[in-house]
Amino acid sequence: MLLDHCSLCSTHRYADLYFFFVKSLASFGGIAVIGDERVGVPAPACGGACLRGDPHSQRLKSADSRCGKMLAMERGVVEEWLSEFKTLPESGVSNYAVSLKVKAALIPAIYRVIRENDSDLLEPVCHQLFEFYRSGEPRLMRFTLQFLPELIWSYLSVRAGRDPHRSGCIEALLLGIYNLEIVDKDGQSKVLAFTVPSLSKPSVYHEPSTIGSLALTEGALANHGLSRVVYSGPHLQRETFTAQNRFDVLSFLLLCYNAALSHMSNSSLQTLCQLGSRVCICGYPRQQMRRYKGISTRMLVSSEFLVQLITDIHYALCNGEPELGFKALDDVMYRAQLELFPEALLVCNAIKSSQHGGALKPHKEGSRRIHVEITPTSSRISRNAVTSLSIRGHRWKRHDAVDLGSPDELMEISEVDEGFCSRSTQGGSPPAIVVSSNATPSGGRPTGKGQRRLGSCSKASRDKEGVPESCRDQLSRKQPGGRAMSETLELLSLKRLTLTSSQSMPKSGTLSLSQTASAVFSRSFEHVSNALTAGNAAHPQGCSPSAPEANRYSACSLQEERLACVVERAEPLGPSPHKQRSPSISLHFSTDL
Amino acid sequence: MTARKSGSRLETEIERCRSEGQWDKIPELVRQLSAKLISNDDLGELLLGEAKLLQYLKENPIKPGASPRGARPKLVEVRKHLTAALDRGNLKPDHQQEAQLLMAKLCYVEGDYQEAIGQYSQVTLDDMQLVGAPVYRLSMIAEAHATKGLCLEKLPSASSSISSHGPDRDQEIITCYEKSGDIALLYLQEMEKVALSAGMQNRSPKPGPVTQEQELGYFLETGLQRAHVIHFKNGNLTRGVGRFREILRAVETRTTQNLRMTIARQLAEILLRGMCEQSYWSPLEDPPQQSPLNDSLRQGPLARDYSLSRRPRVYSGENLFCPQENTEEALLLLLISESMANRDAVLSRIPEHNNDRLISLQSASVVYDLLTIALGRRGQYEMLSECLERAMKFAFEEFHLWYQFALSLMAAGKSARAVKVLKECIRLKPDDPTIPLLAVKLCIGSLHWLEEGERFAKMVVDMGEKASEFRAKGYLAIGLVYSLRATDASLRGMQEEYQKKALGAFQRWVGSVPAVQLLGVTIPEALGYVRQALQLQGDDVHSLHLLALLLSAQKHYHDALNIVEMALSEYPENFIDSGRGSSLLDRAVADRRQLNTMTLPDFSDPETGSVHATSMAASRVEQALSEAASSLQSSAPKQGPLHPWMTLAQIWLHAAEVYISMSKPAEATACTQEAANLFPMSHNVLFMKGQVAELRGSVDEARRWYEEALAISPTHVKTMQRLGLILHQLQRYSLAEKILRDAVQVNSTAHDVWNSLGEVLQAQGNDDAATECFLTALELEASSPIMPFTIIPRAL
Repeated sequence: MLLDHCSLCSTHRYADLYFFFVKSLASFGGIAVIGDERVGVPAPACGGACLRGDPHSQRLKSADSRCGKMLAMERGVVEEWLSEFKTLPESGVSNYAVSLKVKAALIPAIYRVIRENDSDLLEPVCHQLFEFYRSGEPRLMRFTLQFLPELIWSYLSVRAGRDPHRSGCIEALLLGIYNLEIVDKDGQSKVLAFTVPSLSKPSVYHEPSTIGSLALTEGALANHGLSRVVYSGPHLQRETFTAQNRFDVLSFLLLCYNAALSHMSNSSLQTLCQLGSRVCICGYPRQQMRRYKGISTRMLVSSEFLVQLITDIHYALCNGEPELGFKALDDVMYRAQLELFPEALLVCNAIKSSQHGGALKPHKEGSRRIHVEITPTSSRISRNAVTSLSIRGHRWKRHDAVDLGSPDELMEISEVDEGFCSRSTQGGSPPAIVVSSNATPSGGRPTGKGQRRLGSCSKASRDKEGVPESCRDQLSRKQPGGRAMSETLELLSLKRLTLTSSQSMPKSGTLSLSQTASAVFSRSFEHVSNALTAGNAAHPQGCSPSAPEANRYSACSLQEERLACVVERAEPLGPSPHKQRSPSISLHFSTDL
Repeated sequence: MTARKSGSRLETEIERCRSEGQWDKIPELVRQLSAKLISNDDLGELLLGEAKLLQYLKENPIKPGASPRGARPKLVEVRKHLTAALDRGNLKPDHQQEAQLLMAKLCYVEGDYQEAIGQYSQVTLDDMQLVGAPVYRLSMIAEAHATKGLCLEKLPSASSSISSHGPDRDQEIITCYEKSGDIALLYLQEMEKVALSAGMQNRSPKPGPVTQEQELGYFLETGLQRAHVIHFKNGNLTRGVGRFREILRAVETRTTQNLRMTIARQLAEILLRGMCEQSYWSPLEDPPQQSPLNDSLRQGPLARDYSLSRRPRVYSGENLFCPQENTEEALLLLLISESMANRDAVLSRIPEHNNDRLISLQSASVVYDLLTIALGRRGQYEMLSECLERAMKFAFEEFHLWYQFALSLMAAGKSARAVKVLKECIRLKPDDPTIPLLAVKLCIGSLHWLEEGERFAKMVVDMGEKASEFRAKGYLAIGLVYSLRATDASLRGMQEEYQKKALGAFQRWVGSVPAVQLLGVTIPEALGYVRQALQLQGDDVHSLHLLALLLSAQKHYHDALNIVEMALSEYPENFIDSGRGSSLLDRAVADRRQLNTMTLPDFSDPETGSVHATSMAASRVEQALSEAASSLQSSAPKQGPLHPWMTLAQIWLHAAEVYISMSKPAEATACTQEAANLFPMSHNVLFMKGQVAELRGSVDEARRWYEEALAISPTHVKTMQRLGLILHQLQRYSLAEKILRDAVQVNSTAHDVWNSLGEVLQAQGNDDAATECFLTALELEASSPIMPFTIIPRAL
């Protein structure tokens, strides 16, 4: 059956879909009537339930019908809406779509039909909404889409209520939209992809050479150029909801909703936030806290569904629904914690934390304004603070480098850019810092503080420093392999350092900075290792597998294993000739797996 | 004193001082200048006035929102100079304009906006030449536009001498700022060019005077930023975004770096929080005519409506990457921001730099949070973990960054590292029960680090009341760890001990979460728990599966079958996806059992019933097979490379089993062969070959296959049992007994092994021991499911 469906000729798809929809409606229709006959049965609690007790929901409550029956007027509005589209000529569709906006009473009335899901209008309404979606007219599609959160909730709550047939036409509508969206205009399976930008490729906003070498890590070089990544699709066509595919389908529907968020009204965003809250708390202790009395069975959720939900809630949060949005975000986060979903937790944490530090604050209710202010352009970081940049620009020198002839000693001062490994000193002994990392083609040798036009200048500076011709050749030959290159560069920089140190004697200014810097490092590393060793009493020297916790937490040590190799290679070259320099803490780290 | 400079050199020097803002040198230069020619007096006055005004502004910077200052003694002097310069009318046109601009600026500083506007209207700013203008003049023009905008904003529209009102006036103000911003960018680019060429000329190894970073000053800063601030304030998001993009597309200068970082981040925020795919337009496209993003009540023009004779340089070239989607653009901007924020990471830990560190941390963590939002939305956790790894240089003692890094590693599937980072998170925030639970999840998952898992789980339990709802989860975790250790344990005593521990933990947890794993619980009790779990969460596949197994253990095959049917209808792809094929096997086996016990009312004739049930099972298997095959073709790249093939092989084996039960050796052989083609060295395949051989009656061959299977997997109980039986048939009792005893050692609850052992012992004449074995088998059989309970995944 499934196979047959997949192999369906693409042109048949639309027609097929439509028949499927009608068929499903017909099959569920009978049940809908039965549902209506049971007038004495009280309206399901979920239909009109709302988060009682909090002031915000009053707004929604007023639009809710708790008494069960629609007012005649509302019924009239919906019935009129149902009839007018049928008589509409083909040419009038787009005008009609515009005119829908004006009908103020219509949307609340449709919401009520969906909420009160035993209404006899539900089936024609769902049918009409599907017709709208199928029309391909963007405005009509968005009209349907705005009810999506409410439809999803209605579907889920009825399902959880153990009466799956009641949700028949909503189910058919949701599947109908899904099946329309997973194919493109030609009936081919749609694949949603996006390009992952890379800083190593010029763009309308930047030039790789000005970014500096920091960002051009091995990872960046490995996917040099732009890669296109599929984030959704291809999806299979679905005829029924099963427990297995339910949240795949719903996640994809949310993704569609997501793409049209800017067009959604605030009432739609409100229902979305409610959907988020309820799906996540039903059946859990928090439900009592929220005073939501509807369904009390738990709903299985998938991590992906939660991430989509969070994306939408995030938008609502920043566009006029801060209160409901935050509540929903909290609830989703609560659930993500209980389910131990790392993906959802990641995004939740990021949203929460960025609300504090971000420039754009959530705004008053109903307002979608974005508020920015004039920010000072000068750096707020004081000049004498050691930053990643200044540390790159800094020439590491040793004021006691007397014997310049000995290469062994000089090898200890190797300087490259990202990441460093420190040999900390105590008791005022001379600083010796091994800085190492993956160098980049042009950035190996910093050309003065603030000089970032590496492309144009690095060559000059290289020449100036008399790097042997062979090295440069090596450099240019080995370009392709990132790892090979960085090794070459490391050699190169070691060599260069030798020259640097022998060329220029330290000046007082730089000297003090280097002292400060190293003092600072030793302090912070001591701190790190103290903090860590206090707990597990492992001596930092013994960074063996038996005590892997010892030192690997310093920020700098969290580099790739390659770095460890670099350090290891560097070490035999630099046996310490200084007696004072004990005890030295050398930082290693183990990368796992 | 110094030798007098020749005229042109002097002028160059003055120009340099003006563009570099070295106002303190001006008076001396003016002295030299006026000594040369009388007609230079006016120029001298102009220069002195300018120098004093700007020196004053440098010392008393204007703060946004400050009230007008009124006349100041220093400014009176400035006014005197400027009036003197203007009065005689001897200035060259260029200088005349400059003097007027300075005058207007002075008026603004003194709070006389009306007068300032008057001055500007005399100059006609738009006519001022941008092409070939000296650098300092560009800055002057840019500031003049900004100041004009400021004046217009300050003046109430009614009292303005300018005719325009309302939206036109708004537009005029915005145009002033936009022009100012454009010219300011141009000015900064030119400045940098000059500085660079100077640096090249000097050829000094030292960075030179360039290190003195230039500050923009109030007017240029306003000019650069006020336009988009107004756009957003007016609800014209389209224009605001457009303006952001214009600024970002201009080639970067050192002075604009901080501005670019801020704007890039803000634009990314807007793209992520205020836009969607449908309302997006690419930076190189014209904005849509109608956009839901704009405030419909205050519709302004959508694009800028002025032109300049010279515009700032923008990034250009072939193959420029231009984003086509809001997430793409946001990501690009964030990566740019990130690289800048990373450069500013303050590494020093000394207390004096605490504040700096905080600033650098804050600006970086906003960028990383936005990156998380953008990449999370697209499911790019691998890349996210790489980005967050770069954030670790900020992360010392920063819980948020550590935690995010750990989560991203977890989401990217880098479990081992994630556990290690999580440990650091626990150290930083020992009260949060979620973190150790996440660690347990990883430990009992792919890592199988049970000891570590046990430690983490105990942490949660030890939190006591603080852990609230998570405490139950902690018990579940610890129970799972014990139950997994019980499975791993080889000694029966150990197994039982762990199971007891696990049971204790489960009982404390029970009643809250589905996917019950109950080992050692009595079956009826377990049934109760599972029903409870199912009531709580209807369609959990594992609960359903467990229920089916439990029912089968109680020999309620009919009910079990129904449950399996139901589970299959909810999870039709389960046997493809999960790779277990177990639901299916359950079904097949259950069918056979129904037949054997003949309690099934549906099939009146046992003979036809038999054929019916098994052939149904066979058709199921075949269906699964073809689906698996088709899914292999369509979605092979999506899953791991090995996984679907294993599934396929397993399904072939199940098919073979079904055929064996139908006594069709030829088909069974074919199925086995298919599986063997995929995994020739699998013990399951060899076992199945042995079974086929047995079916054919070639006992020796079967024995050979079984022995080979055991060579590959020495603890495969089923093979051991069959081999034991064959040896029994061959009357090699002691060997059979040995093998069966080994099998019992491996799995003490396998009732059919006990049964076989009993038979062997009986044949050896050891009746007492045989009886005991039979009794054990009987006892176990009463509670054994058709598949071992351990096939249900035990995970958090």
